[in-house]
Amino acid sequence: MFELNLSDWQILLVKLGLVLAIVPAITLVAGYAEHKVMAHLQHRLGPMYPGGFHGWATLLADGLKFIYKEDIIPAAADRKVFSLAPLAIFVPTVLTVLVLPLDETLVVEELDLGLFYLLAVSSISTIGMLMAGWSSSNKYALIGALRAAAQLIAYELPIVLSAAVAAMLAGTLSLNGIVEAQEWPFVLWPPGIGLIAFLVFFGAGVAELTRPPFDMPVAESEIITGAFTEYSGMRFIFSTFFPEVANMVIISGVATTLFLGGYQPIVPLGFLDAVPGLVWFTLKTAFMVFMLLWIRPTFPRLREDQLQKFAWKFLIPTSLVLILAAGAWVLYAPEGLK
Amino acid sequence: MDVARTEENIRLPDEVAQEVAEGRLQTEQMVLNVGPQHPATHGVFRLLATIDGEVLVDAEPVIGYMHRGYEKLVEARDYRQITNLVSRMDWLSGINNEMPLALAVETLMELEVPPRAQYLRVVLLEMNRILNHLMFFASFAAELGAITPTFYAFREREDIQAAMEMATGGRMHFGYMRPGGLKEDVPKGFFDQALFGVRQVMDRIDDYYNLIIGNEIYKQRTIGVGVLDKELAYNYGVSGPIARGSNIDFDVRKDEPYLAYADFDFEVPVGLNGDCFDRFWVLLHEVYESARIVEQAIEGMPSGPILGKVPRVIQAPEGEVYVRCENPLGELGMYLVSDGDRRPYRLKIRTPSYNNVSVLPVVLRNTFVSDMIAILGSFFFVLGDIDR
Amino acid sequence: MLDERKLSAARKRTYGIGLLKGMAVTLKHLFKHNTVIEYPDEKQDLGPRTRGVIALKEENCTVCMLCARECPDWCIYIDSHKETLPPKREGGRPRKRNVLDRFAIDYALCMYCGICVEVCPYDALFWSREFEYAEYDIRQLTHEKEKLSDWMATVLPPPALEAGAEQPGQPVAATPAAAAPAPTAVAPAPTAVAPAVQPAGATTPTPAPSMSAPAETTEADKARLPAPPAHPAPRATTDPEAAGRSPEVPTTGQETVLSDQEKAVYQEDPGPNVDVPAEQPQPVALERSEDAEAVYQQVLKEQLDKGSSAQVAEARARVARAKAERGIKRGPTPLTVDKPVPSAPTKGAPRPEPSGAPEAKAPQPDPGPVAAPAEAGAAGSDEAETSAPAAAKEPAAEEPPSAEPVSTPDPQAAAPAVGGSDETPDQVFERVLQEEKAKGSSDAVAQGRAKAARVKAERAQK
Ligand code: SF4
Ligand code: SF4
Repeated sequence: MFELNLSDWQILLVKLGLVLAIVPAITLVAGYAEHKVMAHLQHRLGPMYPGGFHGWATLLADGLKFIYKEDIIPAAADRKVFSLAPLAIFVPTVLTVLVLPLDETLVVEELDLGLFYLLAVSSISTIGMLMAGWSSSNKYALIGALRAAAQLIAYELPIVLSAAVAAMLAGTLSLNGIVEAQEWPFVLWPPGIGLIAFLVFFGAGVAELTRPPFDMPVAESEIITGAFTEYSGMRFIFSTFFPEVANMVIISGVATTLFLGGYQPIVPLGFLDAVPGLVWFTLKTAFMVFMLLWIRPTFPRLREDQLQKFAWKFLIPTSLVLILAAGAWVLYAPEGLK
Repeated sequence: MDVARTEENIRLPDEVAQEVAEGRLQTEQMVLNVGPQHPATHGVFRLLATIDGEVLVDAEPVIGYMHRGYEKLVEARDYRQITNLVSRMDWLSGINNEMPLALAVETLMELEVPPRAQYLRVVLLEMNRILNHLMFFASFAAELGAITPTFYAFREREDIQAAMEMATGGRMHFGYMRPGGLKEDVPKGFFDQALFGVRQVMDRIDDYYNLIIGNEIYKQRTIGVGVLDKELAYNYGVSGPIARGSNIDFDVRKDEPYLAYADFDFEVPVGLNGDCFDRFWVLLHEVYESARIVEQAIEGMPSGPILGKVPRVIQAPEGEVYVRCENPLGELGMYLVSDGDRRPYRLKIRTPSYNNVSVLPVVLRNTFVSDMIAILGSFFFVLGDIDR
Repeated sequence: MLDERKLSAARKRTYGIGLLKGMAVTLKHLFKHNTVIEYPDEKQDLGPRTRGVIALKEENCTVCMLCARECPDWCIYIDSHKETLPPKREGGRPRKRNVLDRFAIDYALCMYCGICVEVCPYDALFWSREFEYAEYDIRQLTHEKEKLSDWMATVLPPPALEAGAEQPGQPVAATPAAAAPAPTAVAPAPTAVAPAVQPAGATTPTPAPSMSAPAETTEADKARLPAPPAHPAPRATTDPEAAGRSPEVPTTGQETVLSDQEKAVYQEDPGPNVDVPAEQPQPVALERSEDAEAVYQQVLKEQLDKGSSAQVAEARARVARAKAERGIKRGPTPLTVDKPVPSAPTKGAPRPEPSGAPEAKAPQPDPGPVAAPAEAGAAGSDEAETSAPAAAKEPAAEEPPSAEPVSTPDPQAAAPAVGGSDETPDQVFERVLQEEKAKGSSDAVAQGRAKAARVKAERAQK
């Protein structure tokens, strides 16, 4: 009994170690992609020199630079809270990865309540934002933190509701279960419901990421970097860049899992099964990331009140209607169509 | 520190709502210093904003951080040096700043400017206007959060910039105007480069249009935001694209044609509503009209000298004159008083940005913080031009 | 096209189509060929007019100080010293010239206006398109003449002009070329001009050619030099009193463009060692006495009477004495007062130029080792020689070298000459011819000068 427990712990530790190694690695890749894709969308080249080949080592060099930077904590700041805030933002980000099924068996911990856990953990970062903004004793940071809190809470709802649609359609909260239920991905089937739910999830996800066009909390032309105005050095990286990019990948992964069929082939055709699930998952996630990268440089940002309106007056009602529709579909759709 | 949670100071949400409705609840206002170092002010400009939550209750622009004493300085410099100095007033439209000075001296000295010089001046002025407008196109979009237009605009600017550099040797401060004409003639290949530059801009305006003006988010941010009444604009002496955005159909180039502007066919775009959208729309259309002027001017370019009969030493005779020109940002006027010296006795400069910014507090009142940025961005101003 | 998009249409709600169009624009650019220039590896081909850095052609610089004076920022620092060269001809006087010791531009101050390049009359300054000379320390941005000369290699020839331009001699571009020491362009003028001077200087042998020629000047240049002094000279011969009385008169000759106010500024208490060009008439005074010490006293008294400060008066007197000692009868300084006009950037500020004469080895080159060439000329007889060419050439530099003095005889200069000496043109001719021969000029030159003098005299008579 005792021995078994130990080995469980060991396995868990190894898994955690893997996650801790993989998350930064993926973040670096995604960050590099962001640099390059955005640059080309804007008709420029982006980083070209660090590392030699098309600047592949830019982010490593950036990281190094930030490590060497002076870590400044304002005199008037609440030191403890100020230093803890990046952690409160960074840790939940890593924790969400634990339940994402990359392939049928490739998942750190398969939870029955996977979706629930995911949504719960990802909303912790709101507190981190508030901590950062309040403790910096800076007006811009305060405005930014309050904006962030208001925005994250407002968009938490459509995310939960649209995820609930997926859960209803699949009939389970387990992420693996949801993927398995998508022989046809939900975007395609059931017609309309899945697609709209996906779009709602995607839109709210972008807002959750505080990326353009929903980036008021960190709108650099208005309130500098919002809650993180006073941060510098590694703390800055761990509170803004790192979670933002990592979350971008994670949200894409979650959207993939919930609506695009996860590690399943995009359409249930026999020969596509030959491609491993991990590849499917990666491809779909990459596509989602690209969409996010594409949107970012294209759109201006909304205003704070318009943002709230968009959430409360459009996304939430829409997702409520979707839940009704999904319920109706599950209950009344003819068996052959499901 | 802790306030004891007694019955009295715990209030239910209903009660709070009622207090707010009755105006009993005092929410605290906060003074936010926007600038002097702030990304949205592009320059050392400070806005003392009193905000209540996200609402801007009051705004007071503080200027003067960049005062360099031009009006005094030029009294101790001769006209050639002044040409180079005023070029730096509004650093985005260098050659446009040189223009009224040259015109003022020419008027006093009764100099003839050869037609070729006039046409070349028009070409350079209009190209500079395009440069300036593209810059504001870029910065306005960037302030609204769209970062891409910056790069597109700078790409187009570069080709026009190259033409300007070819002729004048400078990228921002050209120092190319001389009383009586120009410093030297343009080098070979200049016309091709200039035409290439402006035609490219004309082609790409569609892209700009689709990227920004047609964008719903952009419309949401600008339509009805920062409305500047026609009346208000008149009262504050607002000019340029901002005034035209408020339905004031006035353009010095059209209404008091100087140089050879009367020869060209161009329109003066005028907005209707005076909001951010209209101002920006006017700006973008002016780019197009300027490009058309450049095309026409190069096609009709006369040959001949580029400097009239100018004495070796520029010495404006005694007298005074007010000359105004259409700077990219509005009416740039220079009031030159000469006592017959090689230097002006007094040079009063009326810069467009100064007047344009002075109307800001009125427009900014009771807007949102985010609107403040949009309004600041659409009141195209250059700090050096305000403070000079 | 844009015109069709009227404002109201633009303001219409479009329900998401605008968003998609915007995304199409960015997507289109994703696949477009990039036009970025990867700077350190690739470089833009900048035009020859690019104002990158100022290169100095040291050989051409005659230390005329024009650039330093015209620079709006006073960021050009020039030091020089005198050098004596052996006489060109047997029995001549040793020649002196200015040698450039230091020429530095502080690029931290420079505003890249190009005025220095524009005004340099000797084609010594050029724009180079080089721009990579950033430094970590602002003090290192002051580049000395060695570095500036190195940049000469990167200077491109001026570009051809666009169609329709006046190709050859546009005024500005032509300036350096015409001013270049190559004397051929100006050669015709001097022969005509020089004799015109002769009647004026009748009482004394013309000292100009031998003494005012710097090493590199040629016959033609020498001949050209005496031209301007036509103004002071007549008074010397005909009405010394008058000249002594109003020392400013000579400067208001044909070339003068000084306004009264400027003169006032200029005469206001110049710094030590600075002589004032407007005061050029001392040579006139010299006519009255050959005794150096007496000259000294006389000039000193005159100056003090006039209200000059003791310092200035003394300096002028000393200059006068030195000239008297060396037997200079007549100021050779061909003052074109046009140039000494203080570009002095501070009107009314009494001394923006602390040191005028090159002897004042301004050790630290603060705001202005700006010396007007004529100041240098006035400061001592030594300087007179070297600065003479500078002053003499400038008119040629900016005016077409069509020898204006000939075509438009200066009434001020010519009238008194004729009235005073009562010579008929023929007499003038004879006299000048004799003088020239006595001086050792070749026959042709003597004839030419004499003829010119006659023409001038004839015109003056009319
Ligand atoms: S470019 Fe202008 S500022 Fe620079 S050294 Fe020459 S004259 Fe002076
Ligand atoms: S202006 Fe005179 S001092 Fe200056 S570089 Fe030219 S020759 Fe030399």
